[in-house]
Amino acid sequence: MADATGSAIGPGRSARGAICLCLLLLVLLAGLSCAIGVNQTSPLALLQDPKAAQLLLISRIPRTLAVILTGATMAVAGVIMQLLVRNRFVEPGTTGTNEAAMLGLLGATLLAPALPIFAKMLCAAVAALLGTLVFLALARRIPPQQPLLVPLVGLVYGGILAAAAGFIAFQADLLQYLAIWMSGEFSGVLSGRYELLWLAGVLAGLAYLVADQFTIAGLGEMASRGLGLRYGQVLGFGVVVVSLVSALVIVTVGVLPFVGLVVPNLVSRIMGDNLRDSLPLVAATGAGLLLVCDMLGRLLRAPYEIPAGTVFGLFGAALFLVMLLRRPAHG
Amino acid sequence: MAKWTRLQLAAALMLGLVGPAAADQITTDTDRATVPVMTALGMRELPALPQKIVVLDIAAADTLAALEVPIAGLPSRLYVDYLNKQQAEAAPMGTLFEPDFEAIAGLAPDLIVAGGRSSRQVEALSEIAPTIDMTIWGASHVDLALSRLRSYGALMERSATAAALEAAFLAKLEAARAAVDGRGRALIVMTNGPKVTTYGAQSRFGWLHGALNLPEAVIEQPEATSGDEAQTAKAAEAATHGEAISFEYIAQANPDWLIVIDRASAIGQDNQAAAATLDNALVTGTEAWKKGQIIYLDSAAIYIAGGGIQSMTATLEQIRAGFAVGG
Repeated sequence: MADATGSAIGPGRSARGAICLCLLLLVLLAGLSCAIGVNQTSPLALLQDPKAAQLLLISRIPRTLAVILTGATMAVAGVIMQLLVRNRFVEPGTTGTNEAAMLGLLGATLLAPALPIFAKMLCAAVAALLGTLVFLALARRIPPQQPLLVPLVGLVYGGILAAAAGFIAFQADLLQYLAIWMSGEFSGVLSGRYELLWLAGVLAGLAYLVADQFTIAGLGEMASRGLGLRYGQVLGFGVVVVSLVSALVIVTVGVLPFVGLVVPNLVSRIMGDNLRDSLPLVAATGAGLLLVCDMLGRLLRAPYEIPAGTVFGLFGAALFLVMLLRRPAHG
Repeated sequence: MAKWTRLQLAAALMLGLVGPAAADQITTDTDRATVPVMTALGMRELPALPQKIVVLDIAAADTLAALEVPIAGLPSRLYVDYLNKQQAEAAPMGTLFEPDFEAIAGLAPDLIVAGGRSSRQVEALSEIAPTIDMTIWGASHVDLALSRLRSYGALMERSATAAALEAAFLAKLEAARAAVDGRGRALIVMTNGPKVTTYGAQSRFGWLHGALNLPEAVIEQPEATSGDEAQTAKAAEAATHGEAISFEYIAQANPDWLIVIDRASAIGQDNQAAAATLDNALVTGTEAWKKGQIIYLDSAAIYIAGGGIQSMTATLEQIRAGFAVGG
């Protein structure tokens, strides 16, 4: 894509190098992830033994793909959200998007329990969309010279939605059901049980096609309109991508905090905010970090598991604190 | 876990020290005889035959119902079918984790039986009426459950009924043991929507292994590291909600029997059936699946009312019947 549009707006040489390095690392990590599991046979035996090959196809490769898709798309959703709200401290977890998706899922479970998973996912996505739009409406009223208010308002708003979800779940004896969706982990991922995530991957790919427009939108409504951007359309598309990705991830693996917050900040420190340069790196970093966390979760208490969301929450929070306390590299 | 063991130890000590002394000083301010009751917090002397009882522990409700003791107040939701009659007759007392203190005080009970999920409320409840913590926990699950049964029997002056229930339970235990003997290793798993956890010999469902001499299916690692240490590491530790595992774990452990508890059905949903969760290429490859040796336990009995005498007897019968049918 980048080459077709010419080097002027394609990734710079250093960016291309970084992307290649990241992809190489990611491939290595993915290979490692396929080699890690309860069955501790050597990688060579895995390829020779037909039963082990079956294990690879049914469990390990799907799981690795699910982690990569989740990490990449959550990170992309985070960076888009941050550009649209023009705030470094937001992600679907701090804008009420996740909580709204939960509410949608809960509503679908209560009102139409017989719906197939795809229809429930759609309900969650629509609810996430509505929730995100309400947040955007709230965020617009916050004066731009108060950047910290945006995530705070988002957290309060998300808290209200979470409280509503909690109340409904409590009344309907669905609290434990809610808890299943709240912890993001990959132990249940098998071939045939994660494929919805590919849809999230496609959405993230679509976002890359209009990366430049997101970059411009990140300059603010006035400036981007002045530059001839159809701001409303870009905003709308961004919100749809963020909401759908969040809903897809929640329905398939659960809530994964911090991925959309930490990864974009980390990459923007190094690469700046030109999405055409940084988006592939954001996706690769998100996928890589989540893979490391999932592998740690599988190894630390082997043969039992620790949810990847828990491991990432721990490292993500620490990383985020470090980034907050150190001076920013850009702007 | 450690805390409970210590509590039980302390309780045992108290029994030894206080027991004889307490027996001497019979009834100071009332005419009614007092009965020594062994609780999770130690020995308690309680007036016999309390009239109005509030029960905030489902295992206790199960056992008291079996003794045909009228119950004045119960949590508003029990999730246990065979207690529907008691549920309908008793006044609602809030939930296990958050009892409705006003309703309980309004009822002015003679005794509050708490335990398990409501054990954290014991201190607060004690301000309303005498409250006993009858939690059943730990490795001596069966002994403790039977001791609770005997205590309720003595307290309600229904020791004969309690003895009959105990005898029936022990007979069922013997029958189940015979059915299980020599039939291979079992793995206890709980499905929770799309996810699975396992429960080892030390866990809340581990008494099935211990009481039935049912060998545990654990993962055989090709290169045994350091004998005992590896062995203990392999067995799932005592944890309320088990250890999260992947389907690969089940495939690798390759149990002869799979004992399944469906948590979603225990809490009143059956839209994600356990069988659907387990029906995948990794589980269908195990000995248990190939031979049709999968036992789905009544989740409400073992998960919600675990430790109650009816629950335990019913669970043993399900195990016995399951092993009798299996290939």
